[in-house]
Amino acid sequence: MFTISKLASLTSVSNDTLRYYEQEGLIEPAGKSAAGYRLYDTDSARRIRFIRHAQNCGFTLAEIRELLALRSRDKACCGDVRTRAVEKKLQIEGKIRAMKAMSKALDQLIAECANEKQPVNECTIIAALERAAVSTPVQ
Amino acid sequence: MKIEIFYTPGCFECDAAHAKLRKVAQESVKDLQWRELNVLDDLDYAVELGVLTLPSIAVDGELVFTSMPTVMQLCVFRGIVSTDFTAS
Repeated sequence: MFTISKLASLTSVSNDTLRYYEQEGLIEPAGKSAAGYRLYDTDSARRIRFIRHAQNCGFTLAEIRELLALRSRDKACCGDVRTRAVEKKLQIEGKIRAMKAMSKALDQLIAECANEKQPVNECTIIAALERAAVSTPVQ
Repeated sequence: MKIEIFYTPGCFECDAAHAKLRKVAQESVKDLQWRELNVLDDLDYAVELGVLTLPSIAVDGELVFTSMPTVMQLCVFRGIVSTDFTAS
């Protein structure tokens, strides 16, 4: 059994983050020491590594909570987890597409700004953004 | 009418629901184009339509259902049956 500090060093996650995971119900102590300190077991360490890997793949903590619940549900199958992974990939691909469109829009603005030494009130980028603001009102 | 179902293989419930929907649509709609698309094989098209959850259904190139509809929901959407019928 480990204290929170030991668990933090084992998993390379800060104490504060571990406390936050605990508040969010992602991990829970396996017991308490005689002095009343919370103690964690190897399952906690395994869950924390799972959480970190899932975060690296873009899953939010709420989604990770569902994945952890699936992991321990008898009737769940690999297909359930795979579907969530595919849905996450769709979200990421959608974001990549949106960001590429933003990057392309910036390319156009940058290309239109031929002279970077012009005074700011003649800046073609600012003028183009102002025109865009008029044509596309903020929702 | 073109109906496209985006799915990911391995879901037995989805397979059963696809078959049921397909049967009803084929019986009810003339000139039906029915496509079942493995989302990983048609990822760009799925992203273009805005598919984020599975299964999703597009009708005539427009994302309409973001979860598996019942046969009745699909029918009502395209006017295959009237809403009066569903109320009775």
